[in-house]
Amino acid sequence: MSIARMEKLTVIGLSKDRDSLMEELMRLGVVQITAQDAKLTDDEWRELVAADGNEEAVAKWEGQISRVAQAIETLQKYSDMKKPLIRTRLAVRQRDFDRVMDREVEIRKKADHVLSLSDQLTEVKNRINRAETQKLSLLPWKDYDLSLSLTETKTVRVVLGAIPAASDPEGFRSELEEKAPDTESELVGSDKDQHYFALFLLKAEEEKANEVLRDFSFSRIAFPEFEGMVSQCIESCEKETEELLQQESELIKLIKTEEQYEPDLEFLHDGLVMKRDRQKIRSRLLKTESVFYLEGWVPRMAVDRVEMLLRVKECWYEAVEARKGEETPVLLLNNAFNSPFESVTRLYALPDSRGLDPTPFFSFFYALFFGMMLSDAAYGLIITIATLIIKKKFRLEGMMKKMISMFFYCGIATIFWGVMFGGYFGDLITVVADTFFGKEVVIQPLWFNPLEDPMTLLIFSFILGTIHLFLGMGLSAYMSIKDGRPLDALFDVGFWYLLLVGLVMFLCGKMAGLLGPVPTNIGMWMAVIGAVGILLTGGRDKKGFGRITGGLGSLYNITSYLSDVLSYSRLLALGLATGVISTVFNTLGSLAGGGVLGMFAMLIAFVVGHTYNLAINSLGSFVHSCRLQYVEFFGKFYESGGEAFDPFSENTKYIQILREEK
Amino acid sequence: MTTEVANLIFNGNTLAYLGIAIAAIAGIGSAYGVGIAGQAANGVVAEDPGKFGQALLLQALPGTQGIYGLLIAFLIMVKIGALGGDPKDLTIMQGAALMMAGIPIGLVGIFSGIAQGKTAASGIMLISKRPEEIAKGMVYTAMVETYAVLALLISFLMWMSVAV
Repeated sequence: MSIARMEKLTVIGLSKDRDSLMEELMRLGVVQITAQDAKLTDDEWRELVAADGNEEAVAKWEGQISRVAQAIETLQKYSDMKKPLIRTRLAVRQRDFDRVMDREVEIRKKADHVLSLSDQLTEVKNRINRAETQKLSLLPWKDYDLSLSLTETKTVRVVLGAIPAASDPEGFRSELEEKAPDTESELVGSDKDQHYFALFLLKAEEEKANEVLRDFSFSRIAFPEFEGMVSQCIESCEKETEELLQQESELIKLIKTEEQYEPDLEFLHDGLVMKRDRQKIRSRLLKTESVFYLEGWVPRMAVDRVEMLLRVKECWYEAVEARKGEETPVLLLNNAFNSPFESVTRLYALPDSRGLDPTPFFSFFYALFFGMMLSDAAYGLIITIATLIIKKKFRLEGMMKKMISMFFYCGIATIFWGVMFGGYFGDLITVVADTFFGKEVVIQPLWFNPLEDPMTLLIFSFILGTIHLFLGMGLSAYMSIKDGRPLDALFDVGFWYLLLVGLVMFLCGKMAGLLGPVPTNIGMWMAVIGAVGILLTGGRDKKGFGRITGGLGSLYNITSYLSDVLSYSRLLALGLATGVISTVFNTLGSLAGGGVLGMFAMLIAFVVGHTYNLAINSLGSFVHSCRLQYVEFFGKFYESGGEAFDPFSENTKYIQILREEK
Repeated sequence: MTTEVANLIFNGNTLAYLGIAIAAIAGIGSAYGVGIAGQAANGVVAEDPGKFGQALLLQALPGTQGIYGLLIAFLIMVKIGALGGDPKDLTIMQGAALMMAGIPIGLVGIFSGIAQGKTAASGIMLISKRPEEIAKGMVYTAMVETYAVLALLISFLMWMSVAV
């Protein structure tokens, strides 16, 4: 349960064994090899060792990996194969993996082939773009009926260009006529940006004409890449585009024919990743001329297997327990019910390695709260079945697997509370029976209907919340005692227990008359002792006057306990929200009355409404259940900040290699 | 004449209808909130379309105020029989109490929805840089919602206390 104990492993071995040892360690996947930068600056070590590492090889593999990844991406982009909803790694045996890798040269060729196709495709796409742009630039000139090759004669220069749309084309022409009377100008066309002109300037008048052009911000446009008539050029552009599009679709077809090689490429990708990682990890090793040195962390339960390997490889090694108070990487270990809820802990932050894993303490409450807030048996059933199907259909790993399993338990809790409170798609059965069959059918809740008796549920929520909070405070006391500070446990938790329990007893006796006078009095005295204790000890870390104000400040914390408990009212409110919104949609569906039309309306309201309600309220239940853990529960005791255990292992993307347990 | 008109307007039923309307305007807050979050989401998704799902989760969070408003509005409608086409005759007191019941969620819904939308928007910014921290962004956003939940609770308890 909880945080795995780590042992610190130190290994010295012969350099010639290094690569094979690294391969075996990677297969085991239980050693986190730590960087040794500190030793390189340490005077004692610096003279003896140097950093190992092979950046060149890493870079080489990186380059190949990115090429293969690009080939895979290309294939996936154009492939017609259906993509699975959830991407999972394919499990293969080492034999099968090796068999594929025997064809490595061939697969590499395939990757290169796909890449060259992809490059050609990019080129063709660029050319299509260029042809389209050219066509667009020619379009305004489609009414210009001279050859584009004609730019000057002996005495006349042909100038094409445009003035901004805001200028007056007539004004431009008359101005030009005035300044350069022998110049011909022709308005070829206009669009929303510009007026396009063809000018035939007498070379003798050119300077004067240029002044006018400047005044009107005339910009010259030239088509050096075209010859002949504009309409012909446009046509040839269109023809080129068409041909290129043809080429494009052929290339895509060619890429598609390679799609069956995608799995092979994925094998190659992961094979390369493992090779790279084996080189990359060397930067964390130290070396001398003939030996290497590594340090790392191993979970205690895996130490035996690592030691066996190291003995076979004839390395010197030492595995010692972490010193007291030394920070180690954090690996959470929990039983089958609790471990899915580790995802909630991880989403917050991992516990400090010297602290406490909260998962086993809140997992039950998490599911319970989720169920209360969703509280509809049908919704719970949907969640339960959906998670079961996903678990069956996909080989999930890691966080995803944990999340799905967690929702499975939450679904079961939702069924439980749904039955307790009588929610089955809200009041669907009652509404349907009434609208279509004219009968009155009411499914009685096993416990009570919160809509009729919300106060009971509100108080029940507060009681659950108080238990939850008291558990959190208890864990805080436990940690204080474990750290050898039993007095802190008494002052910070014990007195509060006294005060809060006493206060509740006193109020129950005085205000509600639930208890007799004796327990009421006991409660009062408990509260008084608790309060005085807090007042006296709350400021014990401070000096002088601070001791008094510190105690007062601590006692003032009672408001935070009040607000913590009140926060649990969301269990009622969100539960009501699910139920009432279901009722709203059911009522909407029944408004069209009975008959075929009514059934149709009911069906639409049912599908749309309940899908929406399930989605928004399970999101709400997830978030608010998290909040109750993170803010109310964790706030009482949790110390986070650990680094996740990150062993040197086969960190692959597509393939998981299965090993027979020896 | 004037008294007749006054009686027509200021009777229990119209007051209760006013309560329905007040509760339902909590949707203003949600509309603003979801809108603010959506603007942020568009920006983030423009950079990385893969964040669509995560951004959508956060964008949905400020949507609940509208639902809470709808919830109270619906409950008042049920109580006064406005849905069955057979409305009950309410006294001024009953109508006024139902109207008041709509105020907490209507008013708190508007402001908490907007505030929650802003928090959700910054949560979306958070996932643009650190998508693995989405749970924290969601919890910060849910902190705001607490007050909408409390208002819903009070509206609901007020609604409960009116006997019709």
